[in-house]
Amino acid sequence: MNIFPESISQIGSEMDKLFWIITAVVGIATVITLFLFIYPIVTRKRNKTKEEMYMVGNSHGKRKWIYIGMILLFLGDMYILLKEHPIWESVEQTLPDPDFKIAIIGKQWMWNIIYPGPDGKLYTDDDIMAYNELHVPVNKVVHMDIKALDVVHSVFLPQARFKQDALPGRTITRWIKLNKTGEYDISCAEICGTGHSIMRGTMYVEDFNTWKKTMANIYKK
Amino acid sequence: MNTKQLLKPTMKDIPQGRLGMWLLIAGEFVIFGGLMVSYLLYRMRYEQWAEMASHTNVILGAINTFVLLTSSYFVVKAHQAAQRKDSKKITMYISLTILCALIFLVVKITEYSQKLHHGFTFSGKELAASGKAIESSYWGFYFLMTGLHATHVVVGAIVLFIVMQGARKGKNYHRIEIAGLYWHMVDLIWIFLFPLLYIAH
Amino acid sequence: MDTHKKHGFWHRYFFSLDHKDIGFQYLLTAMFMAAFGGFFVYVFRYNLAFGPNDIPLYGDLAAKQYNQLVTNHGAIMIFWVGMPILLAVIGNFLIPIMIGTDDMAFPTLNKISYWVFLLSCFVLLAGFMMPTGAFGGGWTMYPPLSVSDFGYNNPNTTFWTNFFTGNTFFLLAVALEFISMLMGGINFVVTTLNKRAKGMSLMRLPLVVWMVNIANLLFMFSVGPLIAGAFMLLMDILVGTGFFDAYRGGDPILWQHLFWFFGHPEVYVLLLPSIGAVGEIISTFSRKPLFGYKMVILMVIIAAILSLVVWAHHQFVSGIDPGAANIFSLLTIIISIPFAGMVLSYLGTLWKGNIRFETPMLWALGMLATFTFFGGFTGLHLGSNVFDIYAHDTYFVIAHFHYTLFPTVFLGGFAAFYYWFPKFSGRMMNKTLGLIHFWGTFIFFNSIFIPLFWLGLQGQHRRIYNYSAWNDLLMQPEHIMARQIATVSLIFLLLFQFVFLFNFFYSIKKGKKASKNPWEANTLEWQTDSPPPHGNFDPYPVVQRWPYDYNHPEKELDYCPQSEI
Repeated sequence: MNIFPESISQIGSEMDKLFWIITAVVGIATVITLFLFIYPIVTRKRNKTKEEMYMVGNSHGKRKWIYIGMILLFLGDMYILLKEHPIWESVEQTLPDPDFKIAIIGKQWMWNIIYPGPDGKLYTDDDIMAYNELHVPVNKVVHMDIKALDVVHSVFLPQARFKQDALPGRTITRWIKLNKTGEYDISCAEICGTGHSIMRGTMYVEDFNTWKKTMANIYKK
Repeated sequence: MNTKQLLKPTMKDIPQGRLGMWLLIAGEFVIFGGLMVSYLLYRMRYEQWAEMASHTNVILGAINTFVLLTSSYFVVKAHQAAQRKDSKKITMYISLTILCALIFLVVKITEYSQKLHHGFTFSGKELAASGKAIESSYWGFYFLMTGLHATHVVVGAIVLFIVMQGARKGKNYHRIEIAGLYWHMVDLIWIFLFPLLYIAH
Repeated sequence: MDTHKKHGFWHRYFFSLDHKDIGFQYLLTAMFMAAFGGFFVYVFRYNLAFGPNDIPLYGDLAAKQYNQLVTNHGAIMIFWVGMPILLAVIGNFLIPIMIGTDDMAFPTLNKISYWVFLLSCFVLLAGFMMPTGAFGGGWTMYPPLSVSDFGYNNPNTTFWTNFFTGNTFFLLAVALEFISMLMGGINFVVTTLNKRAKGMSLMRLPLVVWMVNIANLLFMFSVGPLIAGAFMLLMDILVGTGFFDAYRGGDPILWQHLFWFFGHPEVYVLLLPSIGAVGEIISTFSRKPLFGYKMVILMVIIAAILSLVVWAHHQFVSGIDPGAANIFSLLTIIISIPFAGMVLSYLGTLWKGNIRFETPMLWALGMLATFTFFGGFTGLHLGSNVFDIYAHDTYFVIAHFHYTLFPTVFLGGFAAFYYWFPKFSGRMMNKTLGLIHFWGTFIFFNSIFIPLFWLGLQGQHRRIYNYSAWNDLLMQPEHIMARQIATVSLIFLLLFQFVFLFNFFYSIKKGKKASKNPWEANTLEWQTDSPPPHGNFDPYPVVQRWPYDYNHPEKELDYCPQSEI
């Protein structure tokens, strides 16, 4: 039984790795805490003197183990932040030059996908609109302009580990670069009304030549 | 019974009515603070709103500010009278305060009817139809903030009236101070709203 | 006044100003609402596992109703079960008797706040009878969905048709509930500051009193923006203003900021009273002083202040500035540290203790364990903004916050309930039934949510009526199996609550009579009769020491009440 669905992007694999890093930090903390939980329960019937038991913890010296625990957790936290920050920077804070641009527009309850027309530019008269079908080339940087027409939606590509809310009235540009061909899901992750559960699209990741043929077919229509 | 009274926990430094009112005022300020911050965020984003703000009636707003400040003065006077337990003076000053509140509300209603008359409605359908969709939500803030404040004026006046009835019968003088605190808060919120909505262009 | 006065039923349950009676009214109302919340979750979980048709006790479920049930389950469990039980019941019942006084500072205000709360319950439930049905846009009420069919967007509606909708009633109910809790909160804080018994300095207050007050202050300072936002949303629905309408200059994200500025502290508002009660219980049944009492209070204050500046971690993918997201991620992860200090203090209290496994102690340990190991630690996963991109709005989040809120509200709430039941009813609860209830709840609670963690990692997103559209991703045999395990566990969890109900009503009538101090605890409430008479104490106690002198070396007994010299 696998933990994650298959990953189809470099970023996605790094995110999976980050999950395991955090889980490892948390796991160490869990083992220590679990020991502190179980040991006093196991030894609860041993005889102890009142002096031993009257632990108030009213000075820094007596609380040193707590401080050590907090410092250890702080180090773990910092390690997580160090590991995650470069990924965040490359996913959200940089925008590599696009090989291809599309717009995804959420609408109750479907995804409108706008491809640039033969001129290769988005938002011109020859743009082509498709419903719920997203064709992207493999190993290319794809820019997505994410918008919504009516209510808040959220573009969720589980296999690409990608998610971005689509908001009415603003355009958010994000990028993906996928490294595996195949058919994948587009989900809407933000509740958008009665049809929220039928709002699914399909993402076709195709190698460049197949994708060109597909696009040519789309243009013909 | 007497021994029990003696052993009752003593009150601490601040009378509990005043302490409770301070907490209520803090809560109210966070509510209005939330509104004002939201308003300021929009205001800074949209330059068009300055033009809308110029449609507010600064003169009527200034009159209302003056009226409210005067009423606060009367409340202070009433508080002083309450410390002397002077029921007559309390009744007089609180009545004057409530009169001020009524003037405030009359002016407010005049202002609202002017605004609605000029097409500055809640939903801003007229503005939106004339291509000023973004400007229309300025009036939402205008009506919500002043309206919520006017509700507080009404509530404050009712509270003052109830408290005055008690003082006329010669009891619960300390309530004058607490109701007065509330009234000062209503006043102070207006002092924030007036420049935000009326003056700043 | 010195003898326990018997009041009639009407007087006791409808007009009494006594804080104990009001606390009991809150408790019964919250249990009533919890029945709704529990029934809703049963219906929609049944649908997720076994399909929407012929749900026992319900019938067929449509997508719209599914959304309504999900929405109202969330709102009820947080606002109408968690808040009243942890703030109002614990605050009302415990604060006056723990600080050694007769009643709240403003008994009438207390009564009014209960009535407003009751009104809010009815307003919420009335939403189900509206022509448009109950509100179904998620308990977070994100606009524009929450206004999309009304107000400006629908020219066929008038003020009154907009008024009689589930959306309006839901918002009104939430607003009324907040007003009720604000009034209660003012009351608790003033009572604690002003009505303490002689000698009860702030540093001698029991931990739970501290926690309830910090929670109340936190609530008062975080809820304001949401009340403001609720007015704005209400006006959007009723009269068609454009506060959250992007096409008229409004901004849907503003609501998210206003909501989560309250929403995150709200979790701590629930957590603090619960963890405070757990602290009392752990100290009592370990027969040891609470380790690092002052430090725990300090840590909680730090966490409370930090919680006011972490709200945007709910919005990492909602389109906020990615640079700001880094800061929010940092602050969110940092907030684990004061909580680590607190949990370690509690574990320090357990260390070398003569632990007594009474029912409340089991609940308290269960709460601490589940909260720390699953609720707290998965918080690190979600606080990390990178992993949150994937996990946001999936069942991973659902499992995470149920692992924080369920232990807080139910495990902690039941711990407090079993602990203070002898005090408020004068009778002991049946221990065997209590243990059956604990193990049933604890085991099945875990077996509901551990599968959901996995489903979330598989990419199962929230609030979906059925997953048939995601055949390859989410409808494989193992997914269906995981959903069914969760649902069957949920049904068992709900069934085990009937053990509690039976125990509750049986013990309140026929339980063994409780002595003044059945747990041999130190705090003041155990020095008066069980149940406390009207007026609580006679004479009023004079406090001599802090509440945790268990096994004091100079004392013969292993406990030493606060009023003993």
